[in-house]
Amino acid sequence: MKVKLWGTRGSIPSPGPETIRYGGNTSCVGVTLSDGSMLALDAGTGIRSLGNALAAEPTRLHILLTHLHLDHIQGLVFFAPAFRAQTEIVIWGPSSPEASLRDRISRYISAPLSPVEVRELPCDVSFRHCPQAEWEIGPARIRAASVAHRGPTLGYRIDDAGSSLAYIPDHEPALGADIDTLEDEWISGLGLAHNASLLIHDGQYTDDEYPDHLGWGHSSLSHAISFARRAEAERTLLFHHDPMHSDAQLDEFAQGARERWRALGGDPDRIELAMERAEYELPVHTALAS
Amino acid sequence: MLIPTISKVSNVTQKPLELILARNLMSALSTPAFLVDEGGVLVFYNEAAGIMLGKRFEELGTVGPEEWGSLFGPFDEAGEPIPYDELPLVVAVRNGRPAHANFEISSADGTHHSVEASAFPILTAHGSQGAIAVFWPAASNGSAG
Repeated sequence: MKVKLWGTRGSIPSPGPETIRYGGNTSCVGVTLSDGSMLALDAGTGIRSLGNALAAEPTRLHILLTHLHLDHIQGLVFFAPAFRAQTEIVIWGPSSPEASLRDRISRYISAPLSPVEVRELPCDVSFRHCPQAEWEIGPARIRAASVAHRGPTLGYRIDDAGSSLAYIPDHEPALGADIDTLEDEWISGLGLAHNASLLIHDGQYTDDEYPDHLGWGHSSLSHAISFARRAEAERTLLFHHDPMHSDAQLDEFAQGARERWRALGGDPDRIELAMERAEYELPVHTALAS
Repeated sequence: MLIPTISKVSNVTQKPLELILARNLMSALSTPAFLVDEGGVLVFYNEAAGIMLGKRFEELGTVGPEEWGSLFGPFDEAGEPIPYDELPLVVAVRNGRPAHANFEISSADGTHHSVEASAFPILTAHGSQGAIAVFWPAASNGSAG
């Protein structure tokens, strides 16, 4: 499984010289499965570059949306494969008692917010609510579970060829809870993240910023580290950077994360901040892949 | 970057998010509150409930659906045990309907408490995930209000 980060920023695109290293595009992670098939995790503005990088050939693509906040869907109408008739796109996302996934996304891909409507997209696009049970896409087993964030929000776990990726970009597991002392089963998202080869997790706020954003659905550095320690993932990427944080501030944030991780007995090389365009390869474990 | 890993699976069977959030909320309340899962198993009660019962949840742990109803009573004004099926929390989780009742409970030290209990189901897009009951000291006239 290969993972490439196309957008690591939270809330709103933040381009500019002060964010050029960690990136200004909003949430999107490209995943190439062991058989070469492609998933996109979220469709923030980063998906525009992902689309441009894909070959212009008939292709089938799955987009797994964690939720429908604008920073996770804004790139959909600028995703080049959606404008090719030969492309088949399956969009997965959380269900809601209020309206179907298609109808909720159509509120964005429609006037006056968009020049095109969903029905005008040349590609073959379908919308599916994520099931409660695990399902398969190509060689991968996908699991989705609701996680603590505002509105219906999912986290994902992708198991392929013996490696696993957990993706929980918007998450506030410590809301009203002490995740250092709770039992595993009572921690939001831990069932997805536990023992993952790579955990991509919300780390939007510094500890000083968090009290002013309590209940907004995101993690402080301390909470993200506590969650990651409980998850026991091989490697953790802190993701969904606050749009107010410059590269220099994120460097400090990263250093703080490493020091905190080391103080807790962890290998500081196993935690880092997500950086746009960074690539990771999760190895195939042949005994399980066969 | 190649990430060297050994293959592992998640060993955590997580509670439904709605129960997790309900527990988090209940933990912050000063009114006694109880939480059962979709099978009627008592999976949590808060500190205020622990004070009322004379036993903290951590001392008791999870309790099966047929057991918790009789742990602390409950009984009616005449001192007769209230059938398990009629308890608000049981009605809420079994029928998916809110329920309210007055009754008495006996704490671990034998003290009796007259309470009003309101229970409501936790319904989600995937069906019932359990129910919550909140207790108040009974109104002086015994009316459910």
